[in-house]
This record gives sequence, structure tokens and C-alpha cells, in this order.
Amino acid sequence: MENSYNVGMADMVVVSAPAKLITLGLGSCIGLVIFDSVAKIAGMAHIMLPDSRGAKKVEKLGKFADTAVPAIVDEMIKKGASKSRMKAKIAGGAQMFALPGTQTDFLAVGARNVKETTEMLTKMGIALVASDTGGNKGRTVEFSTTNWMLTVKTLGKGKSEI
Amino acid sequence: MLDLSSFNNLQLDAIREVGNIGTGNAATALSKLLSRMIEMDVPKAELISIYELAEHYGDPTEIIAAVFVRSLGDFACSLIFIQSEEDAGLLVDLLLRQQFGDSLPPDLPQEMLDSALSEVGNIILSSFLNAINLLIGTRHQISVPGVAHDMLAAILDVVASIFGQMGEMALFVNTELKLDGADGKAISGKIVMLPDPDALELLLRKLQVL
Repeated sequence: MENSYNVGMADMVVVSAPAKLITLGLGSCIGLVIFDSVAKIAGMAHIMLPDSRGAKKVEKLGKFADTAVPAIVDEMIKKGASKSRMKAKIAGGAQMFALPGTQTDFLAVGARNVKETTEMLTKMGIALVASDTGGNKGRTVEFSTTNWMLTVKTLGKGKSEI
Repeated sequence: MLDLSSFNNLQLDAIREVGNIGTGNAATALSKLLSRMIEMDVPKAELISIYELAEHYGDPTEIIAAVFVRSLGDFACSLIFIQSEEDAGLLVDLLLRQQFGDSLPPDLPQEMLDSALSEVGNIILSSFLNAINLLIGTRHQISVPGVAHDMLAAILDVVASIFGQMGEMALFVNTELKLDGADGKAISGKIVMLPDPDALELLLRKLQVL
């Protein structure tokens, strides 16, 4: 029987197989999964914001793309994963509202989340093997260590496995 | 900058009163628009952890209809009008029936329904905001409204990310409007206002509780 873990906003969970990692209702946030299918270890973060530079303090490492990626990798290595075998999948980063004619940098935070997460993965040398990002619809994601697939549910588009 | 965790009850009460004034004006505007009695709730001013926003408002995966506007100016804030999909449908129906009567075509395209919804939402939220700006003597500019139908948690990401940059808490002013729909079914909708952290400081100063 797989244990299910619900990864809340700004949280980060690293587990050994068998397990299911779930994040509900991603809007501009990112559901990031990193896994090592040989050591059978996976981690998921629910990233809210691109970078921690403007923050006074980082209360939760999973909150920012630039802190979440290294934190998951470290935690996985501690559990016995190998960095060279790690692969990543991401989903989310939508823009829920469009307000024409308004200065709306804050509405495009989803796109910046995707960009920063992708860049952090590249920097750490982890291959991004699948992604489902952008658009204007929320997503719910579920990662299973049985087949290392990320199931993405989008309103009006149904389910897809990446 | 203002530390949200050190808010006292007097300050929260003052903000709730501001919410009351805004809600009164919003209810009046909606009542005029639809020629109906509107019931309003006593507003709440609440400090909520940004990590638990969706749970605070209900089931994170529930599909809701939301109208969102941003107000810029001295008192910068975000405003959202949230309804269940069913209630949003009833509200739009009520508005359109008033315009078209029984000649209302049955299968209106979604864009048309959304346009009507954004208009009602816009009237409610701008009236809410106008009353507050009048009270504290600030000028504002309001964005065009945006509409979304999606999971509650996904919608609230928008505001969580604004506050997340600054800290872990957000101050919400919440209130509910209720009215009877075309066939007597109750329709309700929540008005949620989130002043930007800088705007909060200004608001408290104007209310002389800072």
C-alpha cells in the first residue's frame, strides 16, 4: 500500500518508494518533482515564488524556486539518492487572471516561477524530463513512485500523464 | 514596515469597520442594479497564514467563480468577489433576465456570461472601494476586472504570492452578500479585500489607530 503525502503550499516532502505525492490546486505555484528511480527516492515541493532575494527571511525552503531545488536535492542525497541519476518534472505556473491595460507584473508570477525553477535545475545539473506549465487554468498533480509518472489534472482538459 | 503579527484588536476592529462601510455601499449598488433586497453579513478582518488560505475559505479543489480587480493609488489593494459556480450562474441569470426579459436566448456563449459576471463583480467591488477611498480621502484607479472559473486554491495563489514576498501572514477583510434569485433560490457571494502591506499602514494611520 502506498502512503499518500499532501504537499501544502511552500512545503517540501522527500520520501522513499512506495509513495504518492500530491499537490492540490496549483495556480501560479509550481509542483516540482525530483526523483531517483534506482535508489527509489522522490521529493516534491509546492513552490510559490521565484526567488528569495527580496525576502527578509526564508521560513520554508519549499517556498522559493531558488531554495526549494537545492533543498530537495540535499534531502534526497541524505536518504541515499545519487545526484547524477536525478530527474525532474514540473507542472503549474499558470496565470489565473488577465487584466488588460493594467501594470500586472504580479499576475505573471507563474511564468517567473517556471523560468527560475527550470534555471535552478539546469544550474544543479538535473535533467528536466517533462513539464506542463503556463496557460490560465489551475492544476492538481499526483506523482506515483510505482511508475515515476506525474498525473496532471486540469479543469476542462482532463487528466494527462507526463 | 508594518508587522502583521503585532496587530491589536483595536486595529482589527477599525479595519472591520472600514469593511462594513465598503460592504454597505456595495450592497446598495447591487440592490439598485437588480432592484432587489440585499442582505449583508457583518464583515470580518482576519490575519491568515498565506500557507492555509484555501483551507480557510473551504475545499481547496472546489471549483469557484471569481472576479478580481486591482486598485492602484495610495490605498493599493486586491479585491476578489468569490461565488460557487452555481450561485454565479444564478446571479448572471438574474441580471440578464432583467435586461432581456423572457426573450433571453437559452444558450448564451460562455464569454457573454463571463462578461455579465465581470460587470456585476466590478460594480460590487468598485462600490466597496469607492466608499473606503471616500472615507480615508485617498484617490484610486481601479483595473478592469478579470474573471476565472477554477479551483479555490489556484485562484487564491494570486494573493498568496503578493503577500508571500513580504512574509507569511495576510490581512483579509471578508464579507458576504445574499439575495434571492429569479426563482427564489438564495444567491450568495463573498467580497474579499486584501490591502497591500504598505496600504495597510496608511489605512491605520488615517483611522488614527497607528
